[in-house]
Amino acid sequence: MSEQVTEEPREDGQPGDRELVEKAQKGDGEAFATLVERHQRQLYRLALRMTGSEADAQEVLQEAFLNAYQKLPLFRGEAQFSSWLYRIAANSALMRLRRKRRAPDALSDQPLELVGPKFSAEGYLDPAGDWSQRADEKMMSAQLGAAIQKAVTQLPDDYRTVFLLKDVDGLSNEDIATALDLTVPAVKSRLHRARLALREKLGEFFEAK
Amino acid sequence: MTSPIHHCKECVELLGEYIEGTLSPEQSKALEDHLSLCPPCITFVRTYKATRSLCRAALAAQMPRELMSSLKSFLSEHVPGFSCSKSDAAPRPPSDSEPKKV
Ligand SMILES: [Zn+2]
Repeated sequence: MSEQVTEEPREDGQPGDRELVEKAQKGDGEAFATLVERHQRQLYRLALRMTGSEADAQEVLQEAFLNAYQKLPLFRGEAQFSSWLYRIAANSALMRLRRKRRAPDALSDQPLELVGPKFSAEGYLDPAGDWSQRADEKMMSAQLGAAIQKAVTQLPDDYRTVFLLKDVDGLSNEDIATALDLTVPAVKSRLHRARLALREKLGEFFEAK
Repeated sequence: MTSPIHHCKECVELLGEYIEGTLSPEQSKALEDHLSLCPPCITFVRTYKATRSLCRAALAAQMPRELMSSLKSFLSEHVPGFSCSKSDAAPRPPSDSEPKKV
């Protein structure tokens, strides 16, 4: 089994995922419960980001963990258990989304234009206001929060999901790529485009103040 | 040998990799050389980073408690030995608590 990924010992001294998976594969329901307890929060974020609704996220989570339990005998440890779980949950979220979109939605197929920074013909930036000084996190106002919500909602679906999973939820590029079936360069490029578009919107917000 | 960065456009293209720390040392050097000469790009880097931290602060999502307990009872109906009562009573280590997000 040289293919298996190595696992760092946990800081809290609890058994690692690998050990728990082996126990759960032998029918230890409590070991499986510990795995659920350990991964449910991150899986919830993934499901929430992909479906955009708390109710859907709840059903995705139920389905994903049940599915993982049933497929557990097939898990061979070539990947991290968490990445394997993300993949299962992402598939479940995608199927749910597909079922919801009964008729092909012409609007959602339209590529939305992501607005980035403006450069001069020679490729230079114009001097602009530095709102980062005013953008201290402690200054988060209801207005600013609403502006951010709105700007993020306006991003195209796949850009928004990548951005939220990476910059808000802190998943790795590799896990996002696995879950969403993208290459890592594609994840990085969407992330960058999404940040540029959001930066423009935030700039507009601060300028208007 | 990496060529120097003359245009802000190239600088902006590299920012994602730059703040992730995945640029080659030569590319980082070229980018920093450009930054040292270009105030608009310095402002750009700051606001690019601020975008990330502001969004994180505004959009952090916590899994609701009720959802955790409904997931638990759902799974205990389907997974033999997925004990509901016991794990409620067992002392949980601090690692189970959600990391505080600012
Ligand atoms: Zn520049």
